[in-house]
Amino acid sequence: MSGDGLNRALRDVPIPEQPGAEERGQRIVEAAYAERASGDRGGHSELRGAMPPTTSERRSRRPLPRLALGFSLAALLAVLLLSPAGAAVRDWVDDTFTASTPRPEPTLARVPGGGRLLVQTGEGPVVVQPDGSRRLLGDYEGATWSPRGLFVAAVKKRTLSALEPDGTLRWSITAAERVAVPRWSPSGERIAYRSGFDLRVIAGDGTEDRLLAGSTAAGTPPDARISPAYVPPAWSPTGEDALAYVTGAGRLRILDSETGAVLAAAPSLRRITWMDWGDGGRKILEASPGTLRLRPVWRAGHPSRPALGVAHRLPLPPGASVNDAALAPRSPLVAVSVTYWKRHGTYSEVLIFRPGKGPQTLLSVPGSLWQVEWSPDGKRLLVAWPGANQWLFLPLGRGKGRAIANISRAIAPSGRPTSFPQLEGWCCRR
Amino acid sequence: MRAESGVDERRAVREAQDGSAAAMAQLYSLHWRGAYRAAYLVVHDAAAAEDIAQDAFLAAVEALDRFDRRRPFRPWLHRIVVNRALDWARREALRRRVDGAESVFEPLPPPAEIGGEMIAALKELPAEQRAVVVLRHLLEYTPGEIARMLDLPRGTVNSRLRRGLDRLRETAEADTAMESRR
Repeated sequence: MSGDGLNRALRDVPIPEQPGAEERGQRIVEAAYAERASGDRGGHSELRGAMPPTTSERRSRRPLPRLALGFSLAALLAVLLLSPAGAAVRDWVDDTFTASTPRPEPTLARVPGGGRLLVQTGEGPVVVQPDGSRRLLGDYEGATWSPRGLFVAAVKKRTLSALEPDGTLRWSITAAERVAVPRWSPSGERIAYRSGFDLRVIAGDGTEDRLLAGSTAAGTPPDARISPAYVPPAWSPTGEDALAYVTGAGRLRILDSETGAVLAAAPSLRRITWMDWGDGGRKILEASPGTLRLRPVWRAGHPSRPALGVAHRLPLPPGASVNDAALAPRSPLVAVSVTYWKRHGTYSEVLIFRPGKGPQTLLSVPGSLWQVEWSPDGKRLLVAWPGANQWLFLPLGRGKGRAIANISRAIAPSGRPTSFPQLEGWCCRR
Repeated sequence: MRAESGVDERRAVREAQDGSAAAMAQLYSLHWRGAYRAAYLVVHDAAAAEDIAQDAFLAAVEALDRFDRRRPFRPWLHRIVVNRALDWARREALRRRVDGAESVFEPLPPPAEIGGEMIAALKELPAEQRAVVVLRHLLEYTPGEIARMLDLPRGTVNSRLRRGLDRLRETAEADTAMESRR
């Protein structure tokens, strides 16, 4: 082959190209260029690792650094609070509530605001009914609601199962590798899940299981321990077939779950640990321990497809470390639980971000808060406070908040808690 | 492909530095296709090539204020593209060795048209040789320029180029012989 022939061949030979690649890149570059003017530079890809997650990492909804330390403190406090000798500590914790926060109720007699909760305990996922009654679904490692709460998708080792909320098994498949982070699409037609580092999708009736994106950890060095590929995927809440996920190389991608085609792509937040697609499909929230970012999603083209806009950083107070963040399902409100690790003691806050405004503090308590979860109607928040062994139900508008005590014991099916329960979902809009 | 760059490019860089989004769009449309093609021919994966080309432009946007406008934009961008593509290919090779997996992506199938054999033959080369062949024969840089872009001695560039071309030639001759026997 002559030099000229090779030049021509390299220049002219057709090469595969994902549809719309140039257009996608142009939008992102335009957005980055616009961001440059505002000084808000987007995070670029950070290459991190591909060691398979441990069970605890897989169970953890948001595996943020310092959470382990937070858990240790929480566990210690929980032991103290659950024991008779912990009464004095409990009183101290009670005193930390602000005047507007009610005293904790001794037990969960009903779910404030209604709806059903899905909670992961040491014995398996538990469904909490509106009247506070509970049912253990079985010995599963994680679970998620179907969109109308008619079913639950549950995982254990290499098995993905669909259950009725009373625990009746509807179907089950065994994957090649360990299964994690199932997410049921809003249409109910599909479940996305990870098997090893592959992103797969299966029909809601357990058929048509297929690979959607090979190894989401690809592009990361095998010796690293944290990968953005651990971030659970998020469906478009509008009911279309679009699925957002983060690649191991730190790319936020939106895929057509039917064809696997890339619809939009952008660099994800550095050290991203969590992602939410909410506000009626108009925004994607990206969270890392030190940063929160909202990225608008708009519709472009004909037929219209999701496109990613310029990401904007939400201003966190100095010294705040993000424990958890949640984007409201149908509004642009972002709820965040943050912890301040100070020399004189640790304290946590629940912050609310409204469009164009700085954070508003909804609650401040000693110790660590953990998960925040929006109610299905987006009018209140459930905040986990493991250190006080409580769930806090906080209304956003007028109305009294409610604190429920003894959560570990109340939720544990056997009544013998081994850990503070982890929220998996609050279902469903009436 | 070298004719793309020139006076227009310098003006576009200057105007982009001064805040013209249209100039930035012009730079993008001038160079995206070449950047994508170069990345693809090194990594042989469409999704990865898209990411690499996009990241290279984002790096360019981020460093735009610091860019010396007397220097050409094109080699600066291609340096980023090819180095990132090499990083990707090395990581992928390492990952395969560790995991024992054949492939982590589902690559789009190679085109069946004429030239598909050449792509297949290029894919068989080590990534370092692919990168040098692509820089020399697609992007048409001199060995001296390639040496500076990859931070290598010129002799290393020449030897990689020679080995790469020899192997491509062997593959082409083998294919021709196979065709003539049919």
